[in-house]
Amino acid sequence: MTAPGATPVAAVPASAALALPLHVRASILLRMLAIQGVWNYETMLGNGIAFSMEPALRRLPGGRKGAAYRTAMARHSGYFNAHPYFASVAVGALIRAELDGVPGEQIDRFRTAAPGPLGSVGDRLIWAGWLPLCSSIALLAYGLGASPLMVVLLFLGTYNCVHLGLRIWGLNAGLRQGLRMAHALGHPILRQGPAYVASATAFLAGVALPVAAHGIIGPGRVLLGSVLAAVAAGATLVTLLHGRFEGWRLATLALASFVLYTMVR
Amino acid sequence: MALDLFRIDDRLIHGQVVVGWGQPCGIGFLVLVDDEVARSDWEQELYRMGVPPEMDVFFDSVDTAVRRLPEYRNDRRVGMLLTGDIQTMERLVERATDIRAVTVGGVHHKPGRVARLRYVFLSPEEEARLRALEGRGVTVIAQDVPGATAMPLDHLLRGDGTG
Repeated sequence: MTAPGATPVAAVPASAALALPLHVRASILLRMLAIQGVWNYETMLGNGIAFSMEPALRRLPGGRKGAAYRTAMARHSGYFNAHPYFASVAVGALIRAELDGVPGEQIDRFRTAAPGPLGSVGDRLIWAGWLPLCSSIALLAYGLGASPLMVVLLFLGTYNCVHLGLRIWGLNAGLRQGLRMAHALGHPILRQGPAYVASATAFLAGVALPVAAHGIIGPGRVLLGSVLAAVAAGATLVTLLHGRFEGWRLATLALASFVLYTMVR
Repeated sequence: MALDLFRIDDRLIHGQVVVGWGQPCGIGFLVLVDDEVARSDWEQELYRMGVPPEMDVFFDSVDTAVRRLPEYRNDRRVGMLLTGDIQTMERLVERATDIRAVTVGGVHHKPGRVARLRYVFLSPEEEARLRALEGRGVTVIAQDVPGATAMPLDHLLRGDGTG
């Protein structure tokens, strides 16, 4: 919905799909696996974005010694933050924009606008959806008696088929759509998928948690009372500290306590 | 009052907003106030893709936001208003005098800015603007997600980027 009085600007230009050679695409994909390698609070994913785009930027006029290459590398090393898997869409779109000669001001504007939506879609689909779903599947498998190795392989297999698939799809979609990548983010799986994945996760977690708990404490029912008391105490603590203590600190404290307990026991 | 979350965040609509605040607070609509985005169809289309189908998003300039604030206030759903910088929020507060609290949710690194929190980098001019906001009676806090500690402005401006 657009506010009254808003005036449209020129549409982002469309053009034919970019035909990067397979070895260049493969190189970009491999580099994207390390896109968070030099993550920091100042530039966040920025360096990783430039590193991933670099094999394609060599094709700018003048090659690696040209002014266009240097300008593009400097531009894309700056601040950029998005979901690491969905950053592949931005990598593809920005490569397309640079190779198509889109004006720098428009690319800068895109770099400002793109991170938020890419982060939002990624957080909903992956961090709040697919990751908990795969964890629930693995927990269920463990509860049903799968070996630890099988559980780990199941988790890594299910999780990474979507993870890697997303990176490949994202790069191709970005290259295809360029700065019009909103079209790619409008895919029904990305729009409606998170809601279905969330429902499936809730159902599976409801089944997996008691089954896994039974698998863990089944032979040692003597500990059941202590486990339930610890869960109740933890839940009370989390409720009381809500807003005053960050969750990750509490989780770290709990883990450290477990480690100490197992050492002195 | 349905619209009572006013957030400064240079990423505007992203995961912390939609998932971090959206789910626990039951946010039903977002108001994105940015003069340039309000004039740009392709940017609006992009931001719209970051919002789940069940959440509405409205795009306003400062002028249209001031006019439409009463309408947003009367919306029965929970809403959050976002600006991408401190200056835009300051302009809004100057003209919409019923804004009582502002949250700094994310202002990231740029040359000339100093790290105050891991997610807040401020220039001296921006710090002065935040102080001016408090001088107008607006409570200014820094908080990226609801589960994090809300930090008052005095503490924020004494930060060294490690908090």
